[in-house]
Amino acid sequence: MISAQTGVLDQVDGSCKLQCGETTVICSVTGPIEPKARQELPSQLALEVVVRPCKGVPNTREKLLEDQIRGVVTPVLAKYLYPRQLCQICFQILESGEPEDEYNVKELNSCINAAYLALIDSGVALQSSFSSVCVSVLGSNNEILVNPTQEQLIKSDSTHILALEVGSGGKKIQNVLLIESNGDFTEEIMFNVLSRAEKACVEVALELRKAVEDKIKRDFIWKQ
Amino acid sequence: MAKEVEIPAAESKFVIECLRQNLRLDSRKFDEFRSVEIELGDDYGDVTVTMGKTKVHCRISCTITQPYEDRPFEGLFFISTETSPMAGPQFENGNNTGEDEVLCSRIIEKAVRRSGALDVEGLCIVAGSKCWAVRADVHFLNCDGGFIDASCIAVMVGLLHFKKPDVSVSGEQVTIHPVDEREPVPLGVLHVPICVSFSFFNPEDAEENIKGESNSEICIIDATLKEELLRDGTLTVTLNKNREVVQVSKAGGLPMDALTLMECCHKAYKITEAITDQINNVLKADATARNQYAAILSSENARES
Amino acid sequence: MTESLELRPITFHPDVLARIAPELSMQRHLSLGLRPSLRSFEEFRNVEISDGGLSFASNADIDRKGNNILGSNVLKCGKTMVVTSITGGIVEENISGSRVDDESTESSNRADRLSRFAQVHPVVEVERGRVGAPTDEEMTLSQRLRDCVLHSGLIPKKALDVAVGIRSTDSEGISSILYPDEEENTISSGLKSRRKWSYVLYAKIQVFSRDGPLFEICWNSLIYALKTTQLPRAFVDERTADLKIPVSMRGRSATFRETFDIICDASKFQPLVLNEENVAFASNFAIIDVDPETELPKDEDEMQVDQGGSVLLADIQGEAEEASVFSTISIISSDAGRLKHFKVIGGGLNASMEHLKKSLNLAKLRASDLSAKSSSGDR
Repeated sequence: MISAQTGVLDQVDGSCKLQCGETTVICSVTGPIEPKARQELPSQLALEVVVRPCKGVPNTREKLLEDQIRGVVTPVLAKYLYPRQLCQICFQILESGEPEDEYNVKELNSCINAAYLALIDSGVALQSSFSSVCVSVLGSNNEILVNPTQEQLIKSDSTHILALEVGSGGKKIQNVLLIESNGDFTEEIMFNVLSRAEKACVEVALELRKAVEDKIKRDFIWKQ
Repeated sequence: MAKEVEIPAAESKFVIECLRQNLRLDSRKFDEFRSVEIELGDDYGDVTVTMGKTKVHCRISCTITQPYEDRPFEGLFFISTETSPMAGPQFENGNNTGEDEVLCSRIIEKAVRRSGALDVEGLCIVAGSKCWAVRADVHFLNCDGGFIDASCIAVMVGLLHFKKPDVSVSGEQVTIHPVDEREPVPLGVLHVPICVSFSFFNPEDAEENIKGESNSEICIIDATLKEELLRDGTLTVTLNKNREVVQVSKAGGLPMDALTLMECCHKAYKITEAITDQINNVLKADATARNQYAAILSSENARES
Repeated sequence: MTESLELRPITFHPDVLARIAPELSMQRHLSLGLRPSLRSFEEFRNVEISDGGLSFASNADIDRKGNNILGSNVLKCGKTMVVTSITGGIVEENISGSRVDDESTESSNRADRLSRFAQVHPVVEVERGRVGAPTDEEMTLSQRLRDCVLHSGLIPKKALDVAVGIRSTDSEGISSILYPDEEENTISSGLKSRRKWSYVLYAKIQVFSRDGPLFEICWNSLIYALKTTQLPRAFVDERTADLKIPVSMRGRSATFRETFDIICDASKFQPLVLNEENVAFASNFAIIDVDPETELPKDEDEMQVDQGGSVLLADIQGEAEEASVFSTISIISSDAGRLKHFKVIGGGLNASMEHLKKSLNLAKLRASDLSAKSSSGDR
């Protein structure tokens, strides 16, 4: 489902191009660098998140995406290691894969996963791994779809996104980073979604781990 | 504050010395354009252009809007070239007031929009009340010089590749047909302007600027980021395959010999020709790949000869 | 002889402590089973609402001319006051190919959920004593409100269709306005079938004295405001309905047919029809770890309130709570328990299932409380 390449850009410290279904994003990480005076935090790493849309100029929709991504990334970064420094995370949506003025779940999902790989590529210290998954609930029998296609997405009654902090080599779930659900649903549906999404999230985490393994194998040049 | 890229003195000396000895860091000849790689996405009007390490993405989109009151027969066309820190830390997000950024967007604007490369009259649906607004969003992904040349190619390929939904007008009622209902229609592209940038170096003292027989000025095509930072002057000419000069931009810097301009245009024409052919080939290959069932679905009979 | 040195612990006034060490102050309060606002853990603030009498339809005494507010609400919650005013406009809709078919077939085979619902365009302004570009908080709030209105299916798209009337002047010079849905016989209006207009709704939400997260307060105020919203009838003048403007430019000429003026009738209005089953109210919760270290020394015989662990706090308020809480839950739920929006920001804490379940229950109770307010309110 996910195909990712790291180190695709060379003017930044870390980068990742990630494709998940119909959605493609490219993420760059620069840091730690010198922040602007108003961004600087005396005891921690400051974080700047920039999302640029595929079509048109960035507007409030991208601001909301930035806010959601910041909420996921902030608790995972080892911020205490870089006081008075800045980490810049930029996203460029290459293919949205969803009607942009109505949804943002697929973009958000891809951005979170791309951010993880790009952060690893950049070498900025993280406290743990994380992964995210996007789920939609469709039809009268509440069918749960993981990573829905655009067609499934616009028909679904509710959309959900779940980002988890995953530990022990991608096997153990440590924390919830973000749950966001929209649409029309009940408590029961939501708990079903959460348990299904939790499994999917761990699968994604393992997939991302594989991508990281490949990357390290490739980047480790001091072979015998 | 975005940090300017700085080149150590030793490295800048080295680059200039190499140029003096007829060498470039990437082993190209002085008048050699980097090989251009054009990649088309799944959607219409989704293009990634790679030139060496420079990477530019362009996305064309369209919406229906009202035309300007003083131009009721014309549709709208915008090109947006906004930089983000993704291309390099020297760019600031959403701040396009830097000299280079302004110059870049001005040249592309002149080369593509004001040269009439896109037929805006063809975007009109109902005169004075409805028209298409086409926008080209250029995203700079990786910066290693030559943004102008690469973005111009990306925008043009995008426009050639893009297709807008079909509309039908009956009286006052305008109906938009979704892509899955009716084959979308391509835009009217009148000519394909290609930008070629030249960079000039003056390895001797500033006094050498007074041109004479002994002038040792160096002129290279398609500079990389390092060469761009060290150059003393620049010239961008825009040509199309019909041997027309669309636009010439020489914004100050090192004065150049008037006759060199002709020479540059000649060199640029060869490049323009090659790139235009490449664009056409890429588009043709894409069209056949998309339309692989055309032969089966066609009701035309093969003509007996 | 040595001078004796005396060490005395520094003590701060509670207000000062809350300012310089919000987390410590917070923990001290929690260990007493209270919150800095002196509410108990799962207690919400009271909400006072009124429609403020701002809209053109709310009160006949107000000069209706020039008042373009269609619906309004003033909500007070603790120190915070939110003023929402709904304004509107009329736009022409593009007709896409699949919509040409009959209305009946259209609704049945359209599975695209959101195409049935309309949205409002909110602009949130958090007053902070100066003007300037909107802050990130304001922008994300506006966007979240917009998304939630659209996804909750609160406003059916049909409710915003404009049934355009025609003003005609008869031979005696008396003008009358005919609406297609009022008198079916008179106009078979060719105008209506050819073009389609709909209302767009804008909401301006002003927040005074911000005191904690705003999304939920703004949402509730927006819902109350939408409930009071009245849409004015609109008509075109018969004479301008068939207006032709000849234009020639650079050798070409054309005739534009344009209906330029859609006039709103301020004396006639209809209420905005909402999907009642999708009306839902928002509430927020925080999860915070109780740190036993910060507890004040207790008397031997006093019961311990909490032995560490994490607690759920309802309705986040104040600087101390906002600064020391990283895990928040935000829920939009109808009084019947249908959920419209659910957001958990995990922060560094593990939001356990019990907390989620408890918060959902509380949200439901809160929603029925709030929805009772609007029906029993100032009608």
